[in-house]
Amino acid sequence: MLGAAGIGGPIGRAFLLVGLVGALFGFVSCVMGMRQKDEKLLRLSLRFATLSAVSAVGAFMAMEYAMITRDFSLDYIQKVGSRSTPALYNFTAVWSALEGSILMWLLALALMTAWIAWRYRAKVTDPLVATALATMFVTAFFFFLLTIGPADPFAPGESGVTDGPGPNPLLQNHILVLFHPPILYIGYVGFTIPFAFAIGALVTGRLGEGWLLETRRWALFSWGFLTFGIVLGGWWSYEVLGWSGVWAWDPVENASLLPWITGTAYIHSVLVQERRGMLRVWNLSLLAATFSLTILGTFLTRSGILNSVHAFSESDIGPYLLTFFAIVVVVSLVLIGWRGDRLRSPGIIDSPMSREGAFLANNVLFSVFAFVVLLGTVFPLIVEALQNRQIVVGEPFFDSLATPIGIVMLFLMCIAPVLPWRKASTELLSQRLFWPAWCGVAALAVAVLLGATGLEPLLTFALGGFATGAALRQLVLATRRQKWRGLVGRANGGMIVHIGVIMISVALAASNSYTRSQELTLAKGVPASFGGHTFELKGFVEESDARRTSIKVDVSIDGGKSYRPAIHKFTSMGQNVGTPSVKSSWSKDIYLTLEPPVKPTSNEAKIKVFIKPMMTWMWAGGILMAIGTVLSAFPGRRRRPTDPVSAPVPTALTGTSP
Amino acid sequence: MASAEAMPLSARLKSWPMWMFMAIVTACLLAVGAGREAGPLTQQERIDVITKRLACPTCDGESVFVSQASAAVNIKNEVARQVASGQRNDEQIVAHIEERFGGRVLLVPRATGFDSLVWVLPVSVLVCSVAGLAAAFRRWRREQGLVPSDDDRAMVARLLAEEPEDHDEVPR
Repeated sequence: MLGAAGIGGPIGRAFLLVGLVGALFGFVSCVMGMRQKDEKLLRLSLRFATLSAVSAVGAFMAMEYAMITRDFSLDYIQKVGSRSTPALYNFTAVWSALEGSILMWLLALALMTAWIAWRYRAKVTDPLVATALATMFVTAFFFFLLTIGPADPFAPGESGVTDGPGPNPLLQNHILVLFHPPILYIGYVGFTIPFAFAIGALVTGRLGEGWLLETRRWALFSWGFLTFGIVLGGWWSYEVLGWSGVWAWDPVENASLLPWITGTAYIHSVLVQERRGMLRVWNLSLLAATFSLTILGTFLTRSGILNSVHAFSESDIGPYLLTFFAIVVVVSLVLIGWRGDRLRSPGIIDSPMSREGAFLANNVLFSVFAFVVLLGTVFPLIVEALQNRQIVVGEPFFDSLATPIGIVMLFLMCIAPVLPWRKASTELLSQRLFWPAWCGVAALAVAVLLGATGLEPLLTFALGGFATGAALRQLVLATRRQKWRGLVGRANGGMIVHIGVIMISVALAASNSYTRSQELTLAKGVPASFGGHTFELKGFVEESDARRTSIKVDVSIDGGKSYRPAIHKFTSMGQNVGTPSVKSSWSKDIYLTLEPPVKPTSNEAKIKVFIKPMMTWMWAGGILMAIGTVLSAFPGRRRRPTDPVSAPVPTALTGTSP
Repeated sequence: MASAEAMPLSARLKSWPMWMFMAIVTACLLAVGAGREAGPLTQQERIDVITKRLACPTCDGESVFVSQASAAVNIKNEVARQVASGQRNDEQIVAHIEERFGGRVLLVPRATGFDSLVWVLPVSVLVCSVAGLAAAFRRWRREQGLVPSDDDRAMVARLLAEEPEDHDEVPR
């Protein structure tokens, strides 16, 4: 038993070494195969990709095995393992600290590399595909290197340790810990694929639209996972952290938002390139930016240079990530500069009042947004480096800049879906925008009737209604023409995503502006009222196990069902963690937290009540975004990009689809 | 130009007077909604508003409102005391907390000195990119005459299809 228990470490390490070699050989077989035009060598890359993937799976399973068998001979298990952690949270404890997170990143990356190698196995002799694969191998090699060097999950620990503290209490409090990190990571890592194909296109000089069509769906896939991961993160924060918010502009949250912003800009502006053959440099730059921001974000938040609630303990992974980030940026810039002549776009954009004009405006907004988030995140570092003093840039800064940007984005979502390509006349706009605009007026009227105040939220509701009208118009027209097929395809699926985004914006505006809160001291049997609801303390529930002791209070809302906000004291960490309890409905959530100190003997409890309007809309919006993304990944009925403007591209003759 | 009577109902409905009407309705609704008072805040809401502006001194980036760390709880209690006493307004309470707990408690960078860059830079990036876009559209408008239109291409294609021999003979 003891022998089998200690086996995870050596086996995992062996797997990582094999994977490292597999990735290296895969890279070599791609590059040498291309240089010597050796088909056999190129075909070997699939085997090496499979080898790395199997190794990554093996290493991950070895880690899980070590975690499940509580193998305290490993340093990592000593850090995050504990005999008292329940099975589920023990399983997820593998990604609750730096080394395990890198291992999970590696797992996703190696699997994707193998998937790409398999998916394009028939086309591996195409230099574009081979270069893309080589890029993925380099990235996989780098992450294997991290797990062997500075972020070694299988490093041996001090001897004689028989138990550990377990994962951070916040990471053993809610089932979402099983979903949020892996989904987010799939999104993060997925952006490697379009980036790799972009590098392939740049190296081979085949900058026609073929590679784009090939990778658009990969970009959408990653974007969808990233979006869903971020929404789940918001939900987790809401359900677990007890401050009733979903987003705190924490550096780690910003690090996930940055690639999301540039990725969103890309999936919009890529349509201009598909349709008109324009914005090539810009699109390549966006892909490079998205990928490098995932690395930069990991560097900022995982090197210990910036701290946040999400940040793990310090490690010397920083220089590695920074070097890799620098390589990615330099290589992308050099390649784009080198291919500059072939990238010059042949067309012109006739009018700002056109679909492509709207996409340009969208991209300007998203770029400014990305800049704001990046600046706010790194500004404390700049100040500290230059002036040796510490400042904090927090939520109010981001809120005050993100709100106007968001409102202008909503405005674009009103106009852009009805704009035709090339040029729109005023008459056409007045025809197409008429009913959507009335939807906006109707939404505004309802909001005013319900007592809404404040210019910013009212504008959000009005523009939200308008934009929903514009999206519905497209969906109605499409379903009338094509029945159920009017819901699939990127234009229609995209409109469903838009409606999801609008629901989230409206929910954010409403909950940020109209949350009511009050602290109530409840005595047993004496109802207190706030915001039109009564709250009555029914009793206390105390539970305790080896891991934690919990005190819950039973609070009946409006004489009905009981809700149980709680405070858990984690014995090994000595940390108090509150858990809210939420009564949800479509119009509002009643969010209860238990405030310390709690003395069950006194028959009194202090609770904090938040009444937050429209929170359910946020989660519904997130689900709608996910559904819309899936629908837009299915090919709709659309023309191939054979617009005359993209015809006289100098590379058009060689730019066949890979 | 069709007269108003000849236009279909939907087109007449969507003419400019209706848009004017819509604009007036929107302006009225906005004026009513944005103009009225939101009602008084509860003490707790005032505490929340103030603590959202303050940084927890020990937890890097979190606000006092969000954080459950003991340093944040101390500040929260002090804010609650100040709000309950009712002698200071929000600004004065923030200033008081800053004085008492040191300079690191402000969550928003000041708009003076070096820190103002964090406000100035985003605005200048926005201005520059909008200006760049405007310049690009001006250039495109100038080039517009130089790029063959769809009609031009169609004409070339038609002529080429009509006279294949001529086209072949030209290079010889």
